[in-house]
This record gives sequence, C-alpha cells and structure tokens, in this order.
Amino acid sequence: MQEIGVRVSGLVVNYGSFIAVDNVSFTVKVGEIYGLLGPNGAGKTSTLKVIVGLYEPSAGAIEIFNTPISDEVAAKSQIGYVPEEVILLDSLTPREFLEFVVSIRRLDRDAVNSRLQRLTSAFELKQYFDTPIAALSMGNKQKVAITAALLHEPRLLVLDEPLIGLDARSSKILKELITFHAKKGGAVIFSTHIMEVAEKLCTRVGIINRGKIVGEGTVAELRMLVKSAEGSLEDIFLKVTEQEAGLQDIIEALEEE
Amino acid sequence: MKFSELWRVSSKVYAELSFQSIFSLRAGGMLPQKGQDSIRKLVDSAKLNTVISKLLMTVFIAVFAFAGFFSTTGAINVPGLSKELTMVGTIATFMALVLFLMSFMGIQVSTSFVSSKVVAVLSPLPLSSRDVSNIIFLCFLRIFDIPLLTAAVAPLIAYYFFGGSLLGGPVLFVGVIVTEIFSVTLCIGLAKFFYSKVTSGGGRSRWQTLMRFIFMIFWVIPSFGAYFAVNFATYLIQLYAAFAQTFSSYLYLLVLLYPFSYGFLASYASFPIGVELSTLGLSIVSCLVYSLLAAYSFRWVKNTIREVGAAGAGARLREVVKDTVVSSQAPWLGIIRKDIRLASRSPSYASLLFLPVIQTAVLAVSFSFFVSVMGLNALLGFLILISSVVLLLPPNLISLEGLAASYTRSLPVRKKTMILSKTLLTSIMYIASLMVLLVVALFFRGDVASVLTFGITNLFSVAAAATSELIMLTNKLWRESPAVGNMYAKLSSYIVIAALGLVVVSAPIIGAFTALFFAPHLVFPVFLVLALAEFALTMVFIGSKK
Repeated sequence: MQEIGVRVSGLVVNYGSFIAVDNVSFTVKVGEIYGLLGPNGAGKTSTLKVIVGLYEPSAGAIEIFNTPISDEVAAKSQIGYVPEEVILLDSLTPREFLEFVVSIRRLDRDAVNSRLQRLTSAFELKQYFDTPIAALSMGNKQKVAITAALLHEPRLLVLDEPLIGLDARSSKILKELITFHAKKGGAVIFSTHIMEVAEKLCTRVGIINRGKIVGEGTVAELRMLVKSAEGSLEDIFLKVTEQEAGLQDIIEALEEE
Repeated sequence: MKFSELWRVSSKVYAELSFQSIFSLRAGGMLPQKGQDSIRKLVDSAKLNTVISKLLMTVFIAVFAFAGFFSTTGAINVPGLSKELTMVGTIATFMALVLFLMSFMGIQVSTSFVSSKVVAVLSPLPLSSRDVSNIIFLCFLRIFDIPLLTAAVAPLIAYYFFGGSLLGGPVLFVGVIVTEIFSVTLCIGLAKFFYSKVTSGGGRSRWQTLMRFIFMIFWVIPSFGAYFAVNFATYLIQLYAAFAQTFSSYLYLLVLLYPFSYGFLASYASFPIGVELSTLGLSIVSCLVYSLLAAYSFRWVKNTIREVGAAGAGARLREVVKDTVVSSQAPWLGIIRKDIRLASRSPSYASLLFLPVIQTAVLAVSFSFFVSVMGLNALLGFLILISSVVLLLPPNLISLEGLAASYTRSLPVRKKTMILSKTLLTSIMYIASLMVLLVVALFFRGDVASVLTFGITNLFSVAAAATSELIMLTNKLWRESPAVGNMYAKLSSYIVIAALGLVVVSAPIIGAFTALFFAPHLVFPVFLVLALAEFALTMVFIGSKK
C-alpha cells in the first residue's frame, strides 16, 4: 500500500463568520504531485496554510506522514513551504535569512552548504546573497523562499503559486525539481492558476470552489466527471467551477466597447 | 495641485501607511486569518493607541512649556541664574526637548514609512513629481501633527501668559519652528543615510558590519537625547547654570550656539534693559543664520523625502559575492542572532534594545552621589528601575516574531526554545546595564561589592520575570497571532504582561527592603533565596513544556 504523505480530513477554516474552507478532505500519496486548483478566494491558500501549520483550523484533522499537525515541530520538520505572498525578513540578506532557517531546522553545516551551492547556482541567486531581501525583485525573493524550502530535503513540499514571478529558466528548474522530488519518494502539494502547468505536472488535481472540493482525480478522471472526452484542464476547471456559463457573452461585451 | 487636495490625498496615504505598519510589519501578513470585525478592531485599537501616544506627548510638551515659563517669572529660584539667563536656559531646554522628542518619534515610524513603499503606490498615478513629494511630505507631517502644533503654540501661550513681551513671542515662535524643521531634517537625514548605507546596502565584511553598528548607534542618539531631555530637563538647566557661573566671560559664545541663540534673543526682547549691543547683534545674526539654515533644510527635506519613501523599492547593483556558505547554530542561538540583526536595522527596536544600557548610564551618573551616600536602599531602588526598563524587551522581542510571520511560523520552532532564547537576550541586556553601573560605581568609588552581589543576584529575578512575560506572550502568540506581541496593537494585554513582569522582579527587592527594617543581617540571604526560588520555579515550568 502506498504511504500517505498528507491526509486532510473534514477541514473547516473560518474567518469570523466567513467560511473559507468547508469540510474539505483529500489525501496526497508518496510520489504524487497534487495540484490544488480553484478561482480566486476559493480557499486554496487557506487550505495550504493550515497544512503547514500557519493557520489553526476551526475543525478537521491533518496528518503529515502520519504525524498530526498538532505535533508542530515533528510535522513542520517534514515540510518545505513556499508561500503565495513572499513576506520574508526583509532587512536581512538571503545569507542571514537562510542562516536563521538552517539554525532553526538544526541542519548539518557541510551537507547544507553543498546543497545550498547547487541551489543558488541553479536559481542564479549567488550575486544577491549579501543584498538585503528588501532590495530584491519579487522573483528573487521567490527564489530565496524556494531555496529555504528545499534546503532540508523535506518529505513534503507545499508550494502556493510557486511559479509566479519566476523567469522561464527558474520556472523550468523548479518544475524539474518538483518532478524529481516526487520520483524520489516525496509528496508535493501545490496550488496554481496556470492550467497547462497543472495538466503537465500533476499526478492528480483537486478543484476547490467556494471552500469545497468540487472535483478530484487525474485529468482523465475529471474529463469523465464533466462528460467531455477532449476538453483541456482549463475547460474542465471552468465547467466544474460553474464559471463557463455566460463567459462568452462577457468577452463579447468587453470587445464591443 | 491645491494644498487642500494635497492634504486630502495625504490623509488616504497616511491611513494606508498606518494599516501597512500593522499588517505587514506587525502581523507579518497574518491578518487575513482574522474576520473583518477582528481586523477592524485591531486597526481601530492601533489608531487609538497612536492618538493616545500623540496626546501624551502633547500634554507633556504643554506641561513642560508652562512649567518652564513659570520658572522665568521668578517664582522658582534657580541658584546662580538671573531671570534673563533662566529664560535663556528654559527656551534652550524646551527646544532641545522638542528636537529630540520629534526626532525620536520620526525615527520610530520611518521604517514603516519606507516599507510601505508609498512612492511606488503614488508614482503610477497622474501626479507630478512635485505633487508626489508634497503628498509624502504632508503624510510625514501627519505622523507628528498634534505634537508639532502644540510645540509651536504652547510655549507662545505660556510665554504671554506669564507676562512675555510683544517682541519676544515672535522670536520664540520662529525658534520653535526652526527646531521642528531641524528635527524633521534629522529624521529624514538619518533615514536617507541609514537606508542607503545599511538597509539596502548589505555586505558581510567586518568593515560593513562595523559600519552597521555605528549607524545603529547613530539611530539611537535621538532616542537617547529624548530620554535625557525628558528625564533630566531640570538637570540640564542646572548644568547650564553651572556653566553660566563658571564661564561667565564666555557666555557670548553660547549666543552663537543653537538653541541658545533664540533663547538669548527672546530673553533680550523680554528684558531689554541693560542689554549689551554686541551680544544682541551676535544673537540676531546667529538667529538669522539658523533660520536660513532651517529654510534650506525645509527645501532639502521636501526634495529628499521622496527618495526615502522609495528607498525600499530602489534598484540594486549586483554585488561581488565570494561564496554562499552559511553557518548553522543551535536554534536558540539562531533566534538571538536573527533578533540582533533585525534590531540593528530597525531604529525602534535598536533604541529599545539599547534603552536599558542608556538609562543605566544616565541614572548611574546622575545618582551616583546618592548611591554612595544612601547605600543599599538606593541600590535596590536602582535595580528596580533598571529591571523595569529591561523588562520592556520581552514583548518587543516577541513582536519581532510578527515580522514575516506568514513564513516563519511554518518553521519548526519549539515554544520553549523561543522563550529561552529571548530570556537570554533580555538577560544579556541586563548584564550590559549592570556592567555600566559597575563602571560608574568604580569611577565614583561607590560600593562595588554590593553592586556586584545584588546586581548579579537580581539577574535571576530578571530572567524569571522575563520568562514569565514570555510564557504569557507566547501562549497568546501561538493561539491568536503574532500581532499580540506588539504593544501598540493590544495595549491592554501588554499592560497585564508588563505588570506581571514587574511584580516578579520586584518581589525579591521588596523582600530585601522588608528584611532591611526587621533583620538587616538577612537582607542578602532573603534577596538571594527569593530570586533563586523565582528562577527555579520558572525554569521548572519551562522544562515541563514541549
């Protein structure tokens, strides 16, 4: 039986009276790349933030490689996380920031430096290594966050819109790293709005809309769900999230102006 | 753009600036988890606290202005000073107080000002560069609005209320306006210097690290000045009186020196009989020079403030980086190193970190006489004073965890590690303060042995108090959000936590005081036992935590 990397059961996240995530359940197996798709404000980021222990759920349970997220240190030690909005410790340099992360994660100096050298070289980060993060472009901040997420060779990668802001080269490298990570026996869960990327990269996808999972499976399984043999993931997504109806009329109305 | 429109637009930018400082700096991007009502409450509470701190400063400035000019009526006799020289001293001290207070306030907010990237928001709008500069300038002035207005008006009212002359008022008014411009210039100058050399100029060489340390000291100077001026205004007047008595023949040199020039001119305008024409001429010339300098500074500030507002968004040159080696340390040491690095790049945290040391130096020097004469009583009181300032650190160190919380909270940090690392940093700052006290005691030939024994024993009590504060803070931090660590976001929580710290740190000292009356030979044993017991209790409690 395949080991479970992430198990989310009956997850509910409330912001005051607003229900952002409503009874969401899914699993991500080892070796899987699970794409979490959904329109803006659907509850993707909230779900991911609960998985990495940033938000407290109102109800439900989460396990990371059979460790409940309530066992904070053990669960978080297995996760590498790249947030959607990269807010790092801006007045530190990437070197100083990574030193902090490395210390917190109790990583071996030699092992981490050899890995760091490869990552900084891959993401062309070396030249910015002693420049304060505040002065870096959004893409370079994203690279710092990705490097920090990969340094400890986590078993689970949680990536929230990781390709936003990245140049083509870095984007390609990250996609390769994600695939390699899954092949090596890790698990990946990531959110994206780029349907083509999700279609190519993900083993399975979960489509979330208004806080609920409205479709889940491989792209082929989702095609069956919407009874369409040829549609792309984008078409499936629009159908499942009920955004397709009237879309053509809106586009035509905008073009008429 | 008309001034009224600029003023209106600046109010929107100011509102955004206030919100950004709570959202991004204090809550580290964690606010979205809260409901709209909670966010509104947090913002309202932060706004209320801002107004309260402005009002407190306003009241202080007004009270100081009235008390100062009351002394010029002759009701309070300053030994060795004529009423003319008393007025000079009062006006000069008031101006120094305004200069440092305003600079202190400005420096505290300048990090929020830069990080909000106001220029990046305004630049794409159809506004001229001049309008953008003006809006940012007005926005900066809004930070000081009420205190700035009070500092300009209150001394004038006080001056006329206590029988000032018609001519003296305008001189005083100009002097205060010049002071206000100088304080804003000092803030902007330091911010420009700081952000170009420190925040946006990284580097890891020893030289760059040393430069950062020096800039940090620069940042702290206005805080030190504000603290000194607020606490020792009367002491400053006495110093001035001593100078006036000892070097009376050199008083004319003081006429050339800001802020005394305005003090002399206002004094001459108030008491014109017997004025020497040469010193009057000198004071007029020097006041004119300072006023011209202020006018130039005003123009410079208006042109420069735009650069400061854009400092965070500035493009960087690529630097030559030799390697990408990072060092790994124990988590507790990693947290301390991170905290010191963050504090060294934030004026508000830097000044808070240094405040206990500065306060000890100032108090120790000014009260060294009493310590040597009054002995143990004074020393114990002294230790309470130092400890209470040191205990301001834990909440601020916890609020550092609010920075980038939307990332850092995903790291596997143990609550216990966090508490112990911040307790250790607080204790280090206490030890640094104790070292200063020791040096002063040695210099003034005070009771070094008592300072050492009681001071070191008090360290256990300080550590226990800091740990207690941190346990409460982290319990809230873990459950609610890092914003709670920030005293401005939730003043009520902060007061309760600070009170707890104060109770814990005072207990052994109160015990020692009690022993002093009933069994003087048991003072130190009582003090030691209580401090050790507190320390042991908190450590056992922490040890039982995960």
